[in-house]
Amino acid sequence: MYAVAQIDVDICSATSCRLCTQFCPESNTINYDVKRNTAYVAVDRCKGCEICVGICDTLAKHHAIKMVPITEVVEGFEMSKLGFHKF
Amino acid sequence: MSLETLRIAPGFESYMPKEYVDLVERGPYGRDVKVSELGTFKEVLEEHPMCAGCAMTLFIRVALIGLPCPEHTVILGTAGCGRLALSQASIPFIYGNYGDTNGVASGLKRGLEIRFPNQTKDVVVMAGDGGLSDIGFSCVMHSWFRKEKFTTVMLDNEVYGNTGGQESGMTNKGMVLKMAPFGKKFEKMDMIGLAKTAGVAYIARLAPTNPTRIANVIRKAVLIAREVGPTYVQAYTSCNIEYAIPTPKVMDDARAVEKDRYGFMEIISDEAKAYLERIEQEKKSKAKAVAGT
Repeated sequence: MYAVAQIDVDICSATSCRLCTQFCPESNTINYDVKRNTAYVAVDRCKGCEICVGICDTLAKHHAIKMVPITEVVEGFEMSKLGFHKF
Repeated sequence: MSLETLRIAPGFESYMPKEYVDLVERGPYGRDVKVSELGTFKEVLEEHPMCAGCAMTLFIRVALIGLPCPEHTVILGTAGCGRLALSQASIPFIYGNYGDTNGVASGLKRGLEIRFPNQTKDVVVMAGDGGLSDIGFSCVMHSWFRKEKFTTVMLDNEVYGNTGGQESGMTNKGMVLKMAPFGKKFEKMDMIGLAKTAGVAYIARLAPTNPTRIANVIRKAVLIAREVGPTYVQAYTSCNIEYAIPTPKVMDDARAVEKDRYGFMEIISDEAKAYLERIEQEKKSKAKAVAGT
């Protein structure tokens, strides 16, 4: 079992910083939903490096991203099942 | 490669992998994508086997966004970490033999100019510090002296990360590594100084602390290489495995190193500067003409 990033939609949608999407080393792993105005994580691509957590906490100061065990992710978005940007 | 070869033949859409269809439909082709738009379009880079939290991956990912024309670009690399991600991008990737990347790139660029006289093809060498400053050193220097028109990007992780942590020419003096237990005895090579001596048209040094800056630097380097001459970008991309940096601290390390000894630096020749200004003006006048109609 390993941990993946989970973004708090309520906190994220109140801002428009988009920093985590730019600092994630993995491609298309933190995506951005323009309609809901929030970033979201493709849990099947997340390697759990926690760079986004540091960016959100120290650089953006929003504290919206937390690491959660993969088994406790609720309705996680999986890129391999749904394809890119199905929200 | 061109955009035509990427498009799916009619009737075959449902048989192609999802990732490929997404790339064709929502990819960055044929338009200028900004770093701030990341996450809203399908990137040319796919899933790759590089370590979690690798700063080199972050650099490569953003550098590929900075390419002015990804559908007409060829990337060359060599053995090392960088090729693990570069070979997973939908940009033709040539895996050069160790040491000959810039030699291959010279021939490729000249060949592409003859084969496609009406279409600019960009050639970018993206390899590690060992591949460019140690093993590929002579080819790198000679391509600069010959004023070959392509971009050289060094992914400087200051170690041979892929083979267990041997010291490279770009490792700092005194650094103790797994395969260099007595510490390095010599100074870090001054590749920026060598590039200056060789008369490289555009030289940049940066750390991956500012994604927009990475994309801008790569964009400038590739554009200048089209017309003016060789360009060189040296990027600090820490190896969190060999230097034992916990992944949440990777960006803190990049910031600390940037402040200490890897600050952003740009050396641009007068000719290259004039060329960039000309492009900007052309872009503005074009935008004005579009707005006027």
